[in-house]
Amino acid sequence: MNPSIVETVNVAREVAWLPWAVQYFFLIGLSYGAFLLSLPGIVGRRRGWAGISRLALLGALVCGLAAPVALLADLHQPGRFYHFYQFFTPSSWMSWGSFFIPVYLGGLVLYAWLAFRPLLAQQATDGSLSPRLARLARTLAYGGLESRGALLAAAAVALVGAALVALYTGMEVMVVRARPLWDTPLLPVQFALTALAGGVGLTLLLKRFSGQPDAAQGSIPLFRALAATQALALLVGAVWLLLGLTGLSPRHAQALAEVAPSAAWRLTAVWAAGSTALTLWLALRRPGSGLLIGLLAMHSAWMMRWTIFIGGQEIPKTGAGFYQYQLPLGYDGLLGIVGTGGLWVALFIALTTLLPVARLNREAA
Amino acid sequence: MTQTQICPPEAVEESPASASRRNFLRGLPVITAGAVGAPLPALAGQPGSRWGMLVDVRKCIGCQACTIACINENEVPEGSYRTIVSTYSVKQPEAAGQPAGTYVLPRLCNHCDNPPCIPVCPVGATFKREDGLVLVDGDRCVGCAYCVQACPYDARYINHDTGKADKCTFCGHRLEAGLLPACVETCVGGARIFGDLNDPKGELSRRIAAAGDSLKVLKPELGTKPRVFYIGLDPRFAGKVAGQGALWNPQLHGGRS
Ligand code: SF4
Ligand code: SF4
Repeated sequence: MNPSIVETVNVAREVAWLPWAVQYFFLIGLSYGAFLLSLPGIVGRRRGWAGISRLALLGALVCGLAAPVALLADLHQPGRFYHFYQFFTPSSWMSWGSFFIPVYLGGLVLYAWLAFRPLLAQQATDGSLSPRLARLARTLAYGGLESRGALLAAAAVALVGAALVALYTGMEVMVVRARPLWDTPLLPVQFALTALAGGVGLTLLLKRFSGQPDAAQGSIPLFRALAATQALALLVGAVWLLLGLTGLSPRHAQALAEVAPSAAWRLTAVWAAGSTALTLWLALRRPGSGLLIGLLAMHSAWMMRWTIFIGGQEIPKTGAGFYQYQLPLGYDGLLGIVGTGGLWVALFIALTTLLPVARLNREAA
Repeated sequence: MTQTQICPPEAVEESPASASRRNFLRGLPVITAGAVGAPLPALAGQPGSRWGMLVDVRKCIGCQACTIACINENEVPEGSYRTIVSTYSVKQPEAAGQPAGTYVLPRLCNHCDNPPCIPVCPVGATFKREDGLVLVDGDRCVGCAYCVQACPYDARYINHDTGKADKCTFCGHRLEAGLLPACVETCVGGARIFGDLNDPKGELSRRIAAAGDSLKVLKPELGTKPRVFYIGLDPRFAGKVAGQGALWNPQLHGGRS
């Protein structure tokens, strides 16, 4: 900071992408991360993955259904969302995103339905549901047939959609040259890596609460996957820092220069690196039941987005110093965060009432 | 704190060229004063007009009359600004004989010729008109605030009264009536000169031509091609200012819940 200049009068711009945006990027990231984990067991039929993959698919579905609500809420004119489809604008990543989301979610819902159909049929007949719910499960199962070809096709659509969503969510933020912190080529990679880690974390939590005593034993592939994402995240973080410190990449150097003078930012960086390293170490050495590392991984994914979005908007583009953001308690702030959490829980309860996690977690369907 | 204008060296130098330029300018009717005096149309927009502004920082006294005029003219909600005179207290070298001076910098949307706010808009609501004005189509805007993020000058904001992106329009509605933008008309120091960049004989073009190398824009390295030009722009203030931030920080988001 240069104390020879003190700003006495200036406009302080408010944060315009609200905590809703953080929630959206978090949930959609968790969704595509968990979706990828559903592939080895359900599409690849890999041994030891069946339970993991079904739980991951459940997580992907719940997050995927909740995410667009948060995205809509971040618009200041949510009722005009159809304008996205009426006025396609190819120069805007956000415009492309409005088309990628339905591709991903459409594929995901279809894929999940095809994957869960036989389970729904079993659930309808084994007497554990009330007659009315059993009827609903039977209707949804629609015969309960396994249709491998359709499943693979739906999974392919969802995979393409997931890749496009990962691409656009990263690019949308990266192309904002006005914010040096966002305008770094590594940002999309960091988003994708933390999304994947968050997806693993979520699946670990579902696994932990699936009511099976050998949760830890069955989670070993997840521990490995988590360790890999954390190692990669640390590596990319180190490359980011190195590019900035050495000035090899002027864009990274500029991003670093914007935040380096702030003690709060330095603390955030140490926190992020420290918790990632801790998660890596725990996943390798002391995974336990997976609960702690699962929570840590999800926390890292959320923190990263909060820091990039809210923290990034606290950096004035022309003015001196930093804008101060205080989380409002209303729907633009805390209530929004809690609300998306509530929506997530509601969707989870609705889905697991028909298909309990214990059934999803069984190795053989 | 003393109200001393800090100017870049080239602006302070009493070179014969700049002196004669001043004399030359003194002979011209000051367009802002003219507009205040006569309620008659002060501007005549031609079909090929391309509007621009020149801010002579040396003449700005930091009175914020423009800030207030703009708020009144455009119903800018509390806590938001389309234009403001950023004001800085700057430590002076020992030799100056006083500890600090004031630097003032009027800011507004630059109506860039290569505006980063336009391509990002997902619904094509932000556009550049033939006459150079960068505007928001309020019927189309979804309030996604992508343009707010993309503008490198913090010129945009979300208007909480309308839920749409908002910013300076160069007072397009006044231009249509042949009037000057409210900030220009009210400027006490005559620091804001507005006009048609395509009219070589106009006051704006003449002043720009006369300014030569001292003509600057904000953040030129971004290639946004601003159509708001500055004379007397201290390079320390042309980009993000390195210094201590302002304490005042209004927040209206979430306040309505
Ligand atoms: S100053 Fe900002 S809002 Fe105005 S045209 Fe340039 S980029 Fe767009
Ligand atoms: S806030 Fe409005 S004008 Fe700005 S990018 Fe979004 S839709 Fe376009």
